[in-house]
Amino acid sequence: MAEAQSHHRQKAARLIAGLLMLGAALLAIAMLSLATGARAIPLETVWAALTAYDPNSTEHRIIWDLRLPRTIVGLLVGAALGLSGAVLQGATRNPLADPSILGINAGAALAVVLGVAVLGMTQLSLYVWLAFIGSGVTMLVVYSVASLGREGATPVKLALAGAAITAVLQSIINGILLTSPRTLDEVRFWQVGSLSGRDIDIVLQVAPFLAIGMVLALGSARMLDGLSMGDDVARALGQRIGLSRGLAGLAAVILAGGATAAAGPIAFVGLTVPHVARAITGPGYRWILPYSMLMAPILLLGADVIGRVIAPPGEVQVGIVTAFIGAPFFIALVRRRKLAAL
Amino acid sequence: MLRSAAIALALLATSALPAFAQWSYVGGNGETVMLDAVPTRIIASQDAAAGLIPLGIRPVAIYADSAVADAKALQGLDLTGIEIIGQAWGEVDIEKAAALEPDLIVAEFWPLETTWSGGADVVNALSPLAPITGPEQGASILTLIEDYEELAASLGADLAAPSIAADKAAFETALADFKAATAAKPDLTALAVWAGEDALYVAATGGASELMDFASWGLKLIDPEVADDRGYWETLSWENADKYQPDLILVDNRSAQTMETALAQPTWTLMKAAEAGQVTDWPAYWLRNYGAYASELAKLTTAINAADENLAP
Repeated sequence: MAEAQSHHRQKAARLIAGLLMLGAALLAIAMLSLATGARAIPLETVWAALTAYDPNSTEHRIIWDLRLPRTIVGLLVGAALGLSGAVLQGATRNPLADPSILGINAGAALAVVLGVAVLGMTQLSLYVWLAFIGSGVTMLVVYSVASLGREGATPVKLALAGAAITAVLQSIINGILLTSPRTLDEVRFWQVGSLSGRDIDIVLQVAPFLAIGMVLALGSARMLDGLSMGDDVARALGQRIGLSRGLAGLAAVILAGGATAAAGPIAFVGLTVPHVARAITGPGYRWILPYSMLMAPILLLGADVIGRVIAPPGEVQVGIVTAFIGAPFFIALVRRRKLAAL
Repeated sequence: MLRSAAIALALLATSALPAFAQWSYVGGNGETVMLDAVPTRIIASQDAAAGLIPLGIRPVAIYADSAVADAKALQGLDLTGIEIIGQAWGEVDIEKAAALEPDLIVAEFWPLETTWSGGADVVNALSPLAPITGPEQGASILTLIEDYEELAASLGADLAAPSIAADKAAFETALADFKAATAAKPDLTALAVWAGEDALYVAATGGASELMDFASWGLKLIDPEVADDRGYWETLSWENADKYQPDLILVDNRSAQTMETALAQPTWTLMKAAEAGQVTDWPAYWLRNYGAYASELAKLTTAINAADENLAP
């Protein structure tokens, strides 16, 4: 008994140390993101810009006006994507669950495309709200469709409903884009997924929602652990299945919708990161969730930094880089070990 | 004996044929189109329509590169009674086109791509209906307009009509004013750009006919280091928006959105000209007639006259 307890304590200590290391790595990558760009700015100038801002210095303005908002968007969006992926995988017990599976990305994209094509909206700040509404409504529809029938919203039905509705939404989006090249022009940049060109206003608009979503998600660890034992066991342990899944789903929608609103649909981060986290921590959402939350922005910002320097004097958008890094990484993960059945 | 007879016959045929043909025109691709009668039912590309309509030649149909409302070249032109048979690049409604029974398709020849306006798909769709011809896009919008005058005259236009003469006179005045303005500011430099959310695109003078016109009329355009193989643009990350420091910035005005995007970028004002508001419209790629050219030149002249020519180092 005592031995088991000390083993438990050792594991906890190791995982806390891991979290601290991830925090340090995140800080380092955030600094790297501030120091790297299409324009070469010496490290001491970066430091000076942060500590003693001079509005007359071009370099200082680039750090403050471009790289700082971009880094903050990367941190927030990354954390939100990682958390929402982990929560969705837990709530649906589906190892391939991610914001795109449940229609959240497609819903956000359709709302933006409709806003541009029908209402003529062209500002990024309006995309935020459109994307948010679209992802929320879509999640509700997916959940309602999945809830039809006697056994309620089971994981399989959720994933099926999500995939079916994503297909419907995607064909509507394609239909609009094919007949309206002007709309395609407007949303093309947003659709790829990018951290640049998002100023601090957009961060401020999305941040409160993401904060609420993060609190909800981190608080759902125990419910997710209960769900992971199967609905019957969870129910036997006195858990209210529908409520648990609803709360987790709400957290995931807020996080993924907010992230998509701010940066456009970014694939693979929400899917890949929770698996890496689970490989380190083992099962148990108390650890998977914070690990995902710290690892995802490391991946996202790292991809963004790479995108900034590989095609000078231009840049490659982060959505393209994560697809390039994420896809083979995910295939390797699937091949290396059988995906944990959740 | 037989051979020389054949040669004589061939010579006779080539010299005699144009005499039978009622209408002929040498297109931008170097090929001559000959028809038995002066064509009246013309399908025109958006740009060809913008060249011909002000000269009094009204096509029966237009195929555009985008929604007609967004087609800058057609703005201000009376399109009533003209059927629109295409509103996206590379697309044309072939059934409508066939039902109109055209005598001639008029487009512009693109020497770099060696095809006509609208691209290969549109050309393949339309060329079975009628011969396709038109002027060549080249080093000057002015010579392109003159090519349209020649084509319109052959199609029966009266170039001495008062409205046409008035447009031309307005252009001559605007051109003289523009030349005077550039001559008065020998140190003034300009940069032509397109602004996106992702990057600032700087145009190469040699990639746009009207920019080559401006340069030949005395405007000193900064030429970017073009990396992409098509030779039209240099892509600058917004972090490098101050790579060039012109005295005057010309922003592509095909869409009003471009200027809004530029103004919304925090580093747009790293260019001193942007900071000082020395920014004006660049009528990018769409000018095809004297009327539009006159008003766009007048806008540029006003901007040049108002600009500080020693802003940039």
